[in-house]
Formats: sequence, structure tokens, C-alpha cells
Amino acid sequence: MKQMEFNRRQLMALMGSAAVTAGLPGTAFAQSKALKFWAPGIARVGEKDWSTMMQQAGIEIAAIAKSARADESIQKMVVGDGNALYDAMTDNGGGMEDALASQDAIVELDVSRIPNWANVEDRYLEGGAAADTIRYDGKVMAIPYISNADSLAFNHDVIGAEPDTWDVLFDEQFKGRAALQNDFGPTLTNTAIYLKQTGKQDIENPSDMSEAEVKGVCQFLIDMKKKGQFRTFWDGFQNGVDLLASEEVLVASCWEPIQIVAGRKSGKDIRYGTMKEGHQSWNNIVMLTRGGKERGMEDSFYKLADVYLSTWFGARTLAGLGFTPQMKGVVEYVETETEAFDADTRAQIKDRLARKKERLAVPGNAWQNVFPTQIRAYQDWWARVQAA
Amino acid sequence: MSVDVTTESAGRDSTAGDYRPALSERLGRWVFYIPVVFMLLFFALPMALTVVFSLFERTMFWMEPAITFKAYENFFFSARLENFLDSMYYSSIAVLICFVFGFPIAVFLRKSVPKVAQHRVILLFILPFMVSEIIRIFALRPVLQRNGLVNTTLLELGVVDEPITALIYTHTGVIIGEVLSFLPFIVFAGFLAMEAVPKYIFEVCDDLGAGPVNRFIDVILPLAAPGIFAGCVFIFVNGIGVALLPNILGGPGAVNAGLIATQAITALDFPLAMAVSAIMMATLMSLLYIGHRIFDLTKVLAPIN
Repeated sequence: MKQMEFNRRQLMALMGSAAVTAGLPGTAFAQSKALKFWAPGIARVGEKDWSTMMQQAGIEIAAIAKSARADESIQKMVVGDGNALYDAMTDNGGGMEDALASQDAIVELDVSRIPNWANVEDRYLEGGAAADTIRYDGKVMAIPYISNADSLAFNHDVIGAEPDTWDVLFDEQFKGRAALQNDFGPTLTNTAIYLKQTGKQDIENPSDMSEAEVKGVCQFLIDMKKKGQFRTFWDGFQNGVDLLASEEVLVASCWEPIQIVAGRKSGKDIRYGTMKEGHQSWNNIVMLTRGGKERGMEDSFYKLADVYLSTWFGARTLAGLGFTPQMKGVVEYVETETEAFDADTRAQIKDRLARKKERLAVPGNAWQNVFPTQIRAYQDWWARVQAA
Repeated sequence: MSVDVTTESAGRDSTAGDYRPALSERLGRWVFYIPVVFMLLFFALPMALTVVFSLFERTMFWMEPAITFKAYENFFFSARLENFLDSMYYSSIAVLICFVFGFPIAVFLRKSVPKVAQHRVILLFILPFMVSEIIRIFALRPVLQRNGLVNTTLLELGVVDEPITALIYTHTGVIIGEVLSFLPFIVFAGFLAMEAVPKYIFEVCDDLGAGPVNRFIDVILPLAAPGIFAGCVFIFVNGIGVALLPNILGGPGAVNAGLIATQAITALDFPLAMAVSAIMMATLMSLLYIGHRIFDLTKVLAPIN
């Protein structure tokens, strides 16, 4: 039984509120031709009001802010009435597209309607290393717009060294000055990579651990937590930035934009390292909802998707937030766009791309898995880590 | 003929023994049922559903009808129970601090501020509540953090040599947040409770030579007890229920019931979230029952009557 069937038939009927909850916003939105796009702020470049993105795509966008939490997508799109609310949405690739497609929440894409699809990185083509992260049952359900390999941010001003191992995160000299992300996906995967590569635990696949392996990783974190190693578990972009910028923590496993913004905000030398054990790689994808297709928003969606696969977007997201572009030819593009990208920015873009290449080449890397096989074990043990 | 019938029936309507109340009067009677309907719709029904859903079986993304106590087992036989009890303990400390600081303010307002100005002064305590709770709590970070306002001031004054790190990302941080967020509730409740303490009581106590401590413990406290209890319960329940506080100000290990429920939702474990909510409600109802048995909480509204 699809989860949606139960939800609609029993919960909504019981509460008697389906018409109110789904009908009111749906009716209000139906009169607008804007693409109702459920996405986080990191999905845009240019102006903060999406005007630059709208201008580039040639469509109207009604953006609705979204967090990075995977459960939020499930709650809205599978349990709730997300299909009545959103035409398109973003989330993590490599699991979320499978979950949403299996519940008929998103629809298959026709990549022939996206001219820049010809420009997408080869790893997304059929048989490529990241091909599965946008497909369900062999069908393309999403297009990628950013990716990265998460690493360790550190305050170089205070530490005075360039760590190249996750060891520092668990090192007693940083007791009470280290932070992890409050999300079992990246935190457990990166810790598993560290434990596996240093021979501390026998883990076959850090992306898809067995129940015993999850337990081992979580018990390691619980021990560390009880010893007072972690100052806190950061939650959300601003929280991560504040912790590093205020020097509450000196080392943190975090997203690259957090390191970039924390450095800019504090004026301190906060750097992003390359860990020899490996990193969790991930991407973010854009999907067309079933409701969006039913409301005839396909044209708008494909125009926006085309922007996301353009070097125009790739160069700007890399320069602004440090995310990896998903298309070829970004370096060549910025060399021709000397007015938009001055010499310093062009050099920074090349430097970031080189470091990303270095991180992505580490053999111990593992791909993010939003819905690992033993997800219950992940969730239950993560709850114990949080509660410890 | 028809004219006769109308005239006849009109005459019958006008007799005193056949009085029909006006529509507004008839509707007026039903108005008294509105609170009952409100309680049923917005309290009893949601609570009943919460308990029912807490017995459902968890599925991959949602839950399906069943009668299982797995969610309760998950709560009572894990670190969650310990966290829940810890949050009750820390919340009790916040209640105590709020009482120590807040109730004297209420007494002062009733005793020393002229009656015409009392409500204006109490309004000052409402003003901070016009700002969103998340902003108020988040704003404490730059004040309490390592290089925040408090530490910078203490360091510059030479009071401390090192920043105090216990002010945030600890249980202490959560208690500070609870006190600053909920202090006005004890002031309001205390202010209302002090209605039950006539002003002449203070004069009588003075005349009889009762000192401030005896006056407070033997006279004011018993009279104002129902209102104080209501305020304390409000702070206590918020302390264990508002997930924002441990989330923003707490560190590892600072988890309250609200955060446990939030984490359960994040893990898509809806029956567990429902079970935590049901346990919280049971805790609240038990407290209110005990409080009512001891203090008779209807007295809280006595001044309004």
C-alpha cells in the first residue's frame, strides 16, 4: 500500500480537514502562472529575491523556502499535500528521488526538452558513477544542480596547522571545541569513513552499513559525546556559520559554504581541508512534482532546469557558495566572462575546482545515501546519539 | 374564514401560559456550550487521536493502524526516558528561579504601585512577547557565547580570566533561556494571584509585628498559592516542551520532551512522536489534578468573578 493512500483515506478523513488544508492554498496558487518552487536559498544565484534566476530562465518563480532535512520532503510530499502546493522541488540525490518516485510524488523527465542536458557531467549519463542519483527504475527523475564532498572546516588562525585527517575532530586537544552536523546521513557516513580507513572498525560500505556497523559507529560517537568532545551538533546553515565565526568551535565537519561564509563574516582564516580517509560525496537535484505536471507547469520547469545545467549557473554557484557545478566547461566560460568575473574571482574559481578535484579523488570517499537499506537502524541509533 | 383562523391563533399566542422566548434568548442558552464544543474539538479529540496514533505501527514513511506499544517501549527503555526526566529536573530549576525573581515583582506591583498604574506596568512584561520566540531565543547567542556580550564584559572588567563556556550549549544555557522566556508568566500569574491578598493584609501584618519573611510564608504564599501553582505549571510544561530552547541554546545531552518528539518526527517515527506527546499531556494533566486537589485551581479565577 502506498503511504499516500493511508494518509488520505484515514488520517485526513478522520480529521475532516483535507479540504481546508489542501484546498485553500491550492486554490490561491492555482490562479498564478508562477512555478511554485520548493527550494532552499542555495538553489539560487544573483539577487536574493530570485529575480536573477527568473530573468535567466524567462519564467515567473514563486519560491517557497525549504530546509535541508530529508524528513521534511517525505512529510510534505508523501504524507502531506506537497503535490497541491509545489510544482517543482529540490532535495538530495541518491535516495530521495527513489523514495518520491516510488510514491508517485514526482514524474519522469524528458531530457530532450533541456538543451543544456548535452552539457551535463559525464558521471550522470547512463552507466556513470552518479547516474543512479537522478534515476528511478532506469528513468531520469531529476537533474543535478550542485554537488560536493563534505569535509572538515578548521580555524587556521588558532590551530596553525593544516589538518588532513578526521582524527582532529575526535582528538582530545579539541575537546569541547569540535562540532558535528545534526544529521545522521553525513555525520554517520563521514565517521564510518574515518573508522574504516583508520582500521578502528570493520565497515564494508560506509554508505550502506549493516545494523551492527551502524551500532559500532554510533557507540563510538556516544563515547566521544560523553567525554565532552563535541561542543554541540550544528543544525542549519546559520548555526554552523556562527559556531565557526564566533570561535565556539575550532574544527567542524560541515558544508563548504559554511566555511566560506564563516571566514568572510569573521575575517578569520577558516579553511576547508582534504581528509586522507575520504569524504561523503553528495548532490542536490531538482524534480518536477506530479502536481506540477498535472497543472501544466512542465515548460516552466524545463526552462529552469536548463538554467541549472548552464555554465552561467555553474560558475556563479561555485564563485558564490563554493558548490561544484554539474556541467562541463565552467572554467572556459569564466575565462570569456571577464566582466562578470574579475581576475581574483577567476583564480578563486580555479583554486576551488582544483581542491574539489583533489577531494573527489580520495579513494575512501563514499556517496551519500538518503535511504540506506538499514534506515531504521540508522534512525534509531542516531536518536540514541542525540539523546546520549 | 381564513381571517378568523389567523385572528384566533394570534390571540392564543398572546396568552401568558404559551410564552416563546425570543431567538436571541434561545441562542444565548447555547452560547454556554461553546466552551464545551471548543474543548471537545481542539483538546479532547486531538488528544484522543494522539493516543490512538501512538499505538499504530510505524511504516517506512508513515504509520498503519494497529495496537502496539512499541512506541512506548521505545520511549521507556531507551535514553529518551533519562532525557525526559533530566528535562523535568532542569525545568524545575527554571521554575524555582522564575519564582524567586518573578513573584516578588508581582507582590511589589500589587503592594507598592498605584492601582491605576499597575496594568501599565504589567504591560511592560508583555512587550517582549511581541517579538517572535525564535528571535528572542536566538538573540541570546551573541550575548552568552564565548566572545559574547557577557563574557566580553566580564573579561574587560577583569572578573574572569577565561571566557565562561558554561553559559551556552549546556544545560545552564537552556535554563537561562527558560528563565528569560518564561519569567513573565510567573509575574502575570503572581499578579493575578495577589488579587486574593487584600492590601489591608499588609497593614494588619505590620500592626501585628509580623516580619517580611513570616508575612510572606504564613500569609501571602497560602493565599496566592493557586495562582503561583498555575504559573509554575505553565513554566514547567513549556520548559519540557519547547524544543527551540535545547536546540538553540543546549549542547550535547540537552534534550527535552519537545526535542525528543521533534527528533522522532525527523526520523519519520510518528508513533513515537505521538507517544511522547501523549506522555507530556499525561504529565501535565497529572500535575493539574494534583494541584487542583491541593490548591483548588478554580480560585485562580476568583478575582475575575
